[in-house]
Amino acid sequence: MKLSYLYGWSVLLLFLLGVTVPVMAGEPEEKIKQTTDKILSILTDPALKSPSKEGERRKLIRSAVDERFDWEEMARRSLATHWAKRTPEEKKEFVHLFADLLEQVYMSKVEGYSGEKVRYEGERVDGDYAVVKVKIVTKKNRDIPVEYRLKKERGDWFVYDVSIEGVSLVNNYRIQFNSIISRSSYENLVKRLREKAELR
Amino acid sequence: MKKFDLELTVGLFIIVGVICLGYLSIKLGKMEVVGEKGYEVYAVFSNTGGLKIGSSIDIAGVDVGRVKSVTLDNYEARVVLILPNSLKIQEDAIASIKTKGLIGEKYIEITPGGSEKLIQPGGRIRETQPAIDLEDLISKFVFGKI
Repeated sequence: MKLSYLYGWSVLLLFLLGVTVPVMAGEPEEKIKQTTDKILSILTDPALKSPSKEGERRKLIRSAVDERFDWEEMARRSLATHWAKRTPEEKKEFVHLFADLLEQVYMSKVEGYSGEKVRYEGERVDGDYAVVKVKIVTKKNRDIPVEYRLKKERGDWFVYDVSIEGVSLVNNYRIQFNSIISRSSYENLVKRLREKAELR
Repeated sequence: MKKFDLELTVGLFIIVGVICLGYLSIKLGKMEVVGEKGYEVYAVFSNTGGLKIGSSIDIAGVDVGRVKSVTLDNYEARVVLILPNSLKIQEDAIASIKTKGLIGEKYIEITPGGSEKLIQPGGRIRETQPAIDLEDLISKFVFGKI
């Protein structure tokens, strides 16, 4: 009698686990959607349209991106073989400089948003890693395929790479950083990133 | 008797020649470009652009390995690479398919990553970049979509 009772409970438990798994499957895509929607709402907010509101608008967009992008992971992957040699302070500084670099490079592109549609083309989850495929449809009806690569950390999904038309952002900076460091030095790379940040 | 000797010599010569040829083709067939002992890893690409078995694998422009096989797996390309045992590939290394020149043969370029974890024999290079289809890109930016 006791055994069948246990059996019944374990079947129920397994059933519940089975039911919850499909709900979890959409998570990375959901997270990307949330962040994208947040940024789009900032971009289309009439109260933030005026040029005087630029600073505030950028801050809001940056904090929305900060929630979803794992800057440290991206910086480590971009610095690649040169990361391990850095001191903890250097690493911290580099992560900041990297995030600011990307903000500088891409903020103006993001702000140039003029009604492009975002289509979600599915996701693939492989353990703690996921790829979310998105298509940005431009005004001229061109499809730009974008892939977000996410990693599950502390129960949430964070982006560690973005590919546009099959070209990886991390790989792009990895090659450039490596080239600069091998031709001059890490200090020179940092100097260049600092100079760029000052131009903001 | 003399004729028999001549035929025997010619026959032996041919047999030795064929054995040498066989040895040579087996040795070359194993693609000893790796030189030392190697290990296999695999990577999945959405488009190989025509990468062939035996295509080279480069790191920093140096030829380090060979493509062992290219098969279709769930409508994607599963490429098996042979790398020398002395070459360690980090977990976040990126494998991209590039072209020699602009329209030449395809090869794989691996950019080393920053992770302390290494990809084990039989493991997978997770981060990949597909071959860029130049014609698709041109048509997209010239003509747009209907």
